[in-house]
Amino acid sequence: MGGKRKKSNEEGGESSLTDDGGGAKSNKKTKMEVLPSMIKNKEKRSAVHAKIKQQKKLEKRKKAKARDAAEKRALELGEEPPEKKVPHTIENTREADETVCKPDDEELFAGNDCDEFSAILKLQQTPKILITTCRFNSTRGPAFISNLLSVIPNSHYYKRGTYDLKKIVEYAKNKDFTSIIVVHTNRREPDALLIIGLPDGPTAHFKLSKLRLRKDIKGHGNPTSHKPELVLNNFTTRLGHRIGRLIQSLFPQDPEFKGRRVVTFHNQRDFIFFRHHRYIFETKEVKKTDSKGNKTKDSKEENAPQTKTIARLQECGPRFTLKLISLQHGTFDSKGGEYEWVHKPEMDTSRRRFFL
Amino acid sequence: MPRTTTVDCSGCPPFRALTFDALGLIKVVEARDKQSGVPRVVERWGEPDSSNCVSAVSITHRKADPLLAVARKNGRVEVMNPVNGDLQAAMLNSNVTDVRSEENAIVGLHLFAKKNPELASRSCTLLTCTAKGDASVKSFEVTNSSSESVSLNSSTWNVCAGGNISCCKVDESEKYAVFGGKGVEVNFWDLESSTKIWNAKSPPKNSLGIFTPTWFTCATFLSKDDHRKFVAGTNNHQVRLYDISAQRRPVISFDFRETPIKAVAEDIDGYSIYVGNGSGDLASVDIRTGKLLGCFTGKCSGSIRSIVRHPELPIIASCGLDAYLRIWDIKTRQLLSAVFLKQHLMHAVFDYNFIIEENQLTNEEQANKDNVMLGEQLDALPLKRKKSESKEATLDTNDTKKKSKKTKDHKRSKEDCLGEKITRDEVRKSKSKKKSKSKLEIPDEGL
Repeated sequence: MGGKRKKSNEEGGESSLTDDGGGAKSNKKTKMEVLPSMIKNKEKRSAVHAKIKQQKKLEKRKKAKARDAAEKRALELGEEPPEKKVPHTIENTREADETVCKPDDEELFAGNDCDEFSAILKLQQTPKILITTCRFNSTRGPAFISNLLSVIPNSHYYKRGTYDLKKIVEYAKNKDFTSIIVVHTNRREPDALLIIGLPDGPTAHFKLSKLRLRKDIKGHGNPTSHKPELVLNNFTTRLGHRIGRLIQSLFPQDPEFKGRRVVTFHNQRDFIFFRHHRYIFETKEVKKTDSKGNKTKDSKEENAPQTKTIARLQECGPRFTLKLISLQHGTFDSKGGEYEWVHKPEMDTSRRRFFL
Repeated sequence: MPRTTTVDCSGCPPFRALTFDALGLIKVVEARDKQSGVPRVVERWGEPDSSNCVSAVSITHRKADPLLAVARKNGRVEVMNPVNGDLQAAMLNSNVTDVRSEENAIVGLHLFAKKNPELASRSCTLLTCTAKGDASVKSFEVTNSSSESVSLNSSTWNVCAGGNISCCKVDESEKYAVFGGKGVEVNFWDLESSTKIWNAKSPPKNSLGIFTPTWFTCATFLSKDDHRKFVAGTNNHQVRLYDISAQRRPVISFDFRETPIKAVAEDIDGYSIYVGNGSGDLASVDIRTGKLLGCFTGKCSGSIRSIVRHPELPIIASCGLDAYLRIWDIKTRQLLSAVFLKQHLMHAVFDYNFIIEENQLTNEEQANKDNVMLGEQLDALPLKRKKSESKEATLDTNDTKKKSKKTKDHKRSKEDCLGEKITRDEVRKSKSKKKSKSKLEIPDEGL
């Protein structure tokens, strides 16, 4: 009992930083550091943990203050402000990959010039999309398809019926479709997307998640039937370029800027985020006591003229996330198909390794 | 500590390989270092054009006057010098009216190593086979010009009534050939008289009465001196061994994974084969028993189009749609190195006659090379390990590394939380320093 009490006393001494007793120091040396997780008593543990957390918070605040002060002083003195530190993220510490395309790679462009999508991307052919579903389709599936139809111009929905996908591919080839999109639903929830390039383009199989339909998005807009602008972000590697071009070939290459519609495919850590927006440029009277939202902008433009243009975005939906599972050479063939890329579990050697 | 993966390959012996891709480019990959080399692209022949897509390749390995024949998608067959890429002769499939169609694409090509005694010394003989089944043996003069050569004598015959030929292989004695394809059972032909000797019989229906349609994708002869045994891979992931002296149905047949077999290659020992399939799995199989010897595991994700075995060194090369040429050790089944070649690769061949002279690399050159290596840091790093060092030695180094890691761990744990990040960085630096030092040391030992 006595021993225990002694221990707790020591801990108390340690946690109160004001008295740096010799006992606490020796304790530090012998035990290196008492991590909160090593304390068995929950109350004590949470107390120590709270203390450590508080300290960290204070230190952080102090650092931020010092940084701000330095910046301010530099501004006053007219010097260069200290360099802003870039935080380490998984993306910018990505593993070096030799397949990342360089902009001066002529072989890449030569390869792009003669791939399956070049006819569409060079405006020789207008994209015409067939959208269909898996055999059983209900609730969110049809709703998602009606959303997709409004996003992709010149897309046509065909009921799946009981046709084989290979037959549908043949049919679509004869009818001069350029791509097929198959929405696969499982348990009444869309969970996969298959994009087939025609006549001999690749077949990409995506996992679909985080689907929010237009009606689920608060304050959504309704898109017009103008041809949308397309934004493809961060498709860097050879495979990424190919996927990017596959997606690009779904949309017409001559956007109508009058429509002010943007479709975004943003790749981040191999997840492709889909967003659909409407934007508007507005000229606004700027008062100094303007709305709280753009305070920072106001402070910058104190001496600027009283009107300015701002861009406002309104999301039109749907909103979903794609992840590439496989890219198949040729059209859909689940048994005899050759893969250009398949995700295999042994490839996940690091969380800093990305393929797109 | 960010977990990073290094390409853990131990470098490969000197070799020279040629790869052929979907844009019709021919790339020469060489590993030059005596002990352990990093293969890299040294030459690129041809202009990128999708109609030039290589469909079949054949090479003769004789010491004097080696030749390389390349069949393109547009029906052109080119004969080149594999050493410098000079075009020696070119031939258009003349009897074909519409060369563009898929049916007339050349799927099988074989360049005869033996010279026809009746013809002039500078001539070569080619066997071509189109997808439709038109096989022909042609001889023509090597003219060193890109203009179309005139065939001196040719014989043409049809190897199948219907269906599409997709594989064609000539045996070592160059008297017999095997053809097979989609809807075509494997045929065995005598090339001299161009008659069919043997024809395979399709396997019986399975227990449910379902008949799987015939579709052969690749074939290879099992050994050099025996033309009677050959292995064929099918589209429904079956590998079959046929023996024409025994029966018309396969002697051994086994399944390999789920996707179609796309490439088979024989080993020089005469019984083990290498199988590659449409999702990038590569394995070696003992064909006498049909037992899987082991898989070549790497981060290979694209369909394997071609596997080749080096005749002397214990390595194989595989290439495919993932645009990598990979070199594997056949004993350990480890990846020795991988070269990224940017395009979909169709074929690869080894140049057997490539030998590095001992005194080619002087000390200075070696030193220069090391400097270059230093710049490349991580990629080259594991490859610098000497091959001559025994496995034990490598194990030792691993042990020491572990030890050093342990000590570092102790140090780290002693230091307080705040300093941790910095120390980690330092540790990383020191590690890399150590590695670079060791890199410097190794060639010294070698000299």
